[in-house]
Amino acid sequence: MDDIAEELRRFLLAEFLPGESAANLRDDTPLRTGGILDSVSTLKLVSFVEQRFAIEVEAHEAGVEHFDRIADIAALIRRKQGR
Amino acid sequence: MDLDFSDEQRAWHDAAVEFARRHLAGDAIAADRDETFDHAGWKRAAEFGVLAMPVKKELGGLGLAIGEVIAVMEGLGYGANDQGLLFSLNAHLWTNTMPLVQWGTPEQQRRWLPGLMDGSLIGANGASEPDSGSDVFAMRTRATRQGDVYVLNGTKMFVTNAPVADLLVTYATIDPALGSMGVTGFLVDGHAKGVTVSRKLAKMGLRTSPMAEVVFEDVRVPVADRLGREGRGVAVFESSMEWERGCILASCLGAMRRQLERCIAHARQRKQFGQAIGKFQSVANKLVDMRLRLDTCRPLVYRIARLKEAGKDATVEAALAKLHVSESCVKNALDAVQLFGGYGYMTEYELERALRDAVGGTLYSGTSEIQRNLIARGLGL
Repeated sequence: MDDIAEELRRFLLAEFLPGESAANLRDDTPLRTGGILDSVSTLKLVSFVEQRFAIEVEAHEAGVEHFDRIADIAALIRRKQGR
Repeated sequence: MDLDFSDEQRAWHDAAVEFARRHLAGDAIAADRDETFDHAGWKRAAEFGVLAMPVKKELGGLGLAIGEVIAVMEGLGYGANDQGLLFSLNAHLWTNTMPLVQWGTPEQQRRWLPGLMDGSLIGANGASEPDSGSDVFAMRTRATRQGDVYVLNGTKMFVTNAPVADLLVTYATIDPALGSMGVTGFLVDGHAKGVTVSRKLAKMGLRTSPMAEVVFEDVRVPVADRLGREGRGVAVFESSMEWERGCILASCLGAMRRQLERCIAHARQRKQFGQAIGKFQSVANKLVDMRLRLDTCRPLVYRIARLKEAGKDATVEAALAKLHVSESCVKNALDAVQLFGGYGYMTEYELERALRDAVGGTLYSGTSEIQRNLIARGLGL
């Protein structure tokens, strides 16, 4: 079980998908391109990631390429943390 | 009418009413017809302290509590008859000065805030574009980094104060592929090379508040003039909108109250069929509805003050206030015209102008539809 991915999932469900089953939010579910996150909620997610995992997300890292799926975001966090 | 002010709010409100009656009560009909921006009124408002009120004392401002600032705005709305000037003052404060206070570096604040507060500089905000209004972060204006500068190219639409602006808070994307996370805030000198007010826009209402389209053509903006972090323009913009949505309609509260008092006086004095028209239920009911709207608007606006002063998020509450006040303002203005009959339709009675001015409120700072979207999102929908 990936702790980072689970923490992201819990945050996303609590903040943006209340009442949704965790099983429906998979690691590869598209968050932005799938319409789950809009501009403001994306910003909230980025801010959460920065504060919770003590990393700084640069602008070029916050595009949909790196920041659209839980798996990709978790990978970015691990990479930034040097794991 | 019990306005339920604190002592401080009442003092500021009453001072603002007195100031506005003395200094902001010119020939509004002519100013509206000629689309005249009241430069002298702007300076006098600055001398009264309007432009420094919400700015912290350590930055040279008056450091008033937000509730007191709102009380001032309500007082100005009650005492002044040029709602366009008040709209310009509000746009300057909430979408230019306050983002600079919240997101600016000490150097940026030292450079710009003194002039913005003393009235020698006028601020504007450029976010909307010809093809991105409600979908504002789909903007096309590009900021291309070249060493220590960004080069801005693009067009901004519906920029309040643009024809008279000295400083623009504006937004551009550093890379459209990043989506909203590419949007970045900038401070742009309104007189910089490549900044052009391409055309002044004629409007239905608020005609004394100048508005224009602004074109950026290879405008070189030093990196030091970026407002906030690269790619975090959404945060800067949304914080400015929270201020604007929550506070820009405070002036309307005063205008609505003055309008209601005038309508009540008219309903008592105007006689038809042998009695005051206020004795007819269809007229009295209008006045009751106008009072009810006003009384349900004021708490929503002052709630923003309490939340902001407590450092709490007010996104949903600001949208609720914006939605209800703007739509109530239109309804009250329509009722006022109807209540005055043919006279209400005449320019000299200044009610048709109030109606035209009110309509803009349902459009600027996010349309009523966008406010409902924000509120629905806040409900978890």
